[in-house]
Amino acid sequence: MNVRKILASCVIALAAFAPQFARAVDVKVVPAAKGVEVWFVEDHTVPVVTMSASIPAGSVYDPRGKEGLAAMAAALMDEGAGKMNSDAYHTALGNKAIQLSASPSRDYTVVRVVTLAENAKEAFQLLGLAIARPRFDPDAIQRIRAQMIESIKQEEQDPPTVAGKAFSRLFFANHPYAHPVGGDIDTLSAITQNDLRQFAHAHWVRGGMKVAVSGDIDEATLKTLLGAAFDALPATRPAPPPNVARLGAPGVHVVPMPVPQPTIEFGLPGILRADKDFIPAYVANYILGGGGFSSQLMKEVREKRGLTYGIDTDLNTYSKAGVFVGQVATKKESVKQTIDVIRQVMSNFVDKGASTAELTDAKTYLTGSFPLAFDSNTGIAAQLNAFQRVGLAPDYIVKRNDMIEAVTHDDIKRVAKRLFNPAKMTIVVAGGITDAKAPAKSAP
Amino acid sequence: MRFAGAGRAALLAATMIFCGAATPPPPSPPKAFQFALQNGMQVLVVPDHRAPVVTQMLWFRVGGDDDPPGLSGLAHFFEHMMFRGTKQYPGGQFALIVARNGGETNAFTTHDYTAFYEQIAKDRLPLMMRLEADRMANLDLSDNNVRTERNVVMEERRMRVDNDPQSLMSEQLAAALYLSHPYGRPVIGWPDDIRRIGRVEARDFYLHHYAPNNATLVIVGDVTPDEVRPMAEAEFGKVPARELLPRAEYAQPARMGETRLNVSRPDVKVPVFIRMYRVPSYAEATAGEAESLDVFAQLLGGDATATLYRELVVKKKLAIDAGASYDGYTRDDSSFSVYAVPRPGVSLEALEHAVDGVIAGLFSREAAPADLERAKTQLIASATYRRDNQYSLASVYGQAISIGLTVNDVEQWPDRIRAVTAESVRKAAIKDLNKIEAVSGNLRPGK
Repeated sequence: MNVRKILASCVIALAAFAPQFARAVDVKVVPAAKGVEVWFVEDHTVPVVTMSASIPAGSVYDPRGKEGLAAMAAALMDEGAGKMNSDAYHTALGNKAIQLSASPSRDYTVVRVVTLAENAKEAFQLLGLAIARPRFDPDAIQRIRAQMIESIKQEEQDPPTVAGKAFSRLFFANHPYAHPVGGDIDTLSAITQNDLRQFAHAHWVRGGMKVAVSGDIDEATLKTLLGAAFDALPATRPAPPPNVARLGAPGVHVVPMPVPQPTIEFGLPGILRADKDFIPAYVANYILGGGGFSSQLMKEVREKRGLTYGIDTDLNTYSKAGVFVGQVATKKESVKQTIDVIRQVMSNFVDKGASTAELTDAKTYLTGSFPLAFDSNTGIAAQLNAFQRVGLAPDYIVKRNDMIEAVTHDDIKRVAKRLFNPAKMTIVVAGGITDAKAPAKSAP
Repeated sequence: MRFAGAGRAALLAATMIFCGAATPPPPSPPKAFQFALQNGMQVLVVPDHRAPVVTQMLWFRVGGDDDPPGLSGLAHFFEHMMFRGTKQYPGGQFALIVARNGGETNAFTTHDYTAFYEQIAKDRLPLMMRLEADRMANLDLSDNNVRTERNVVMEERRMRVDNDPQSLMSEQLAAALYLSHPYGRPVIGWPDDIRRIGRVEARDFYLHHYAPNNATLVIVGDVTPDEVRPMAEAEFGKVPARELLPRAEYAQPARMGETRLNVSRPDVKVPVFIRMYRVPSYAEATAGEAESLDVFAQLLGGDATATLYRELVVKKKLAIDAGASYDGYTRDDSSFSVYAVPRPGVSLEALEHAVDGVIAGLFSREAAPADLERAKTQLIASATYRRDNQYSLASVYGQAISIGLTVNDVEQWPDRIRAVTAESVRKAAIKDLNKIEAVSGNLRPGK
């Protein structure tokens, strides 16, 4: 290839990339495992198969007084199944270097499997056994409960976690999104073997399960293996979680901690994934705080003032609520200043919207970086499963970049005004404010 | 394979390495192609055509080891300064241009090396090369930039270390373990040293270490060596080589006695026992020794079927969690770590005693064949899993080359793990897990 040609092409061709990519990811919807939605990308480059499966088993379904049940069940998924006790099950996974994990979140538990292609059959057998015939042996329950409790104690010294937990409690109030996914020491202590069995029976189910697979396997084999893994599961589906009444607890809430660097978590009601303004909001969030070094908040708080190592905002979309949330850590002497800067940047953004350069840059980043998530089997399975969880269709991969390109300055202004009201922010400081003039309340 | 620019006098004779021709399992290992530019820069290309994406990593053979006395943290600080702009791309333009082109960028520093990377659409690779080549030679080190960035680094230190008693103890364990060797200084720097870093120190550091003849470029992704070679020559080839400050050699004197650190702090919520042994790294070990240590770490504490977990967590119920790890990819002596978190009511002393019992058991008899096989299988599979991802694939090569290993070392590693025996594991463990060469730490809640 000619060097000069390469150089010329890179300067001009900013947006030429996306269409080429859409063709490169060939997602098949595989009619496997009765009623389960399976998206599949076949690729034989690396002899690895990865799967990401989301089951309707999030912490939102935790019964009152048993908060942490979904998480404890997930942590017990690889602790024995069928005739195998915990050690036998772990040995079976280890003998074939199969990686199996279950990560609980608010709406779903996400089960991931990574295996060498040559062990795919054993991997899906072991997965099926774990999810359909979990043992919940008393010994394993005791061990996992003790680990979860120690990890909660450990988190009590970690400002980002303390801030995040306090924020959710305040923000979601009485809704089951309010409690930590991992539960509390008291509620974990109250969970019984029977609770775990009932939870698995109701929530480790085929109804509402979404599966994405990528890697070195053919469609026919995959169908057989998925069928064997999931066909025995109940086809029921849990009742949807309750709707959210109100969101947010405006004001500054301090959770005292003896640390040199407090964490500030701040947020506002966000936007549901199905809202037609979600994509404009996504672009607006990138410009305000989601875009790393390109974001207005990073420029003002880190680059100009050196107040932090990093500041980041996100639009979290749960099935029943959207949350705009950001996190930043700074020394306790500059907490007040940092909060002031955040408020100023937000209010300025609501007044002025984005500059032409900011909007263009946001679009070229968001469209151009889309393929990066698809550079590995693990990345593909995770990305596809994330789309499935929020109810998107496979053709979203083709349409997405056009939707981002279509966002206008008016769209940005509209969503900024709707979302980023600095006066309504719920702000939690985990640590202390030494220069505080802010009206500080104590978090529960 | 033919390189587009092959035969030009401008380039050194290329070393091309096609690897793993005769390994038993069918999956073909990635082919890494290696060559050098005339200014001394090493280039490595690993094609992976799954997505139209490339990862560029630029590895400099400079790190915390090269911090001058009283200026610990300078190498890491300098990693930050590389994002602060040049004459041609001032201010934060570097990161902005990468983002504008749909790319990701970041960097990391260890005692041995500093690496910068970008992941981006393949057709933007020449632009990424131009930006990296530019900041290798033309950085703007003004006072104001230095001052603001020093505050950012202090915040990074508070976040990673000062806020977390376990990190603070690990920092002190390393300081005690490595005696006067710079591995005992934190890469991020002691706070007093970070405050001393100024423009002059930064400038000296830049001129002495940032040069093509001190760097390895690793490109992984949807490119061929034919494409990469002329690009690299056009962009990096024009950066002149510089006279480097030679890396200092440091004594690693034998330790004279077991060392212990007892730490009680009010911010500790969960007690923990940690021991670090000073052991040979891959760069120093005798044939098969480091591989045996890797297998031993897996057997002792790699997962829930490892001996520490089975004995202390599952059977004796003394621990909440327990594990071990070996970080063998360093130039000088590396570390082998063991940790255990006690169940409530179990003393750290009783727990340590039990840990020692488990280790003594593995010294006295060879691992069961099934356990050995499982440990090896998992390590060998990890090499395949790393190939699934451009970042980890590029890291494996870049790290190995930056500490003085070769492409062959990387690609033959699975075979060398296969060759490890129960006897070689036991011998390496007995030789290298020597308590005189270790520091044990007890971290507990207290005043």
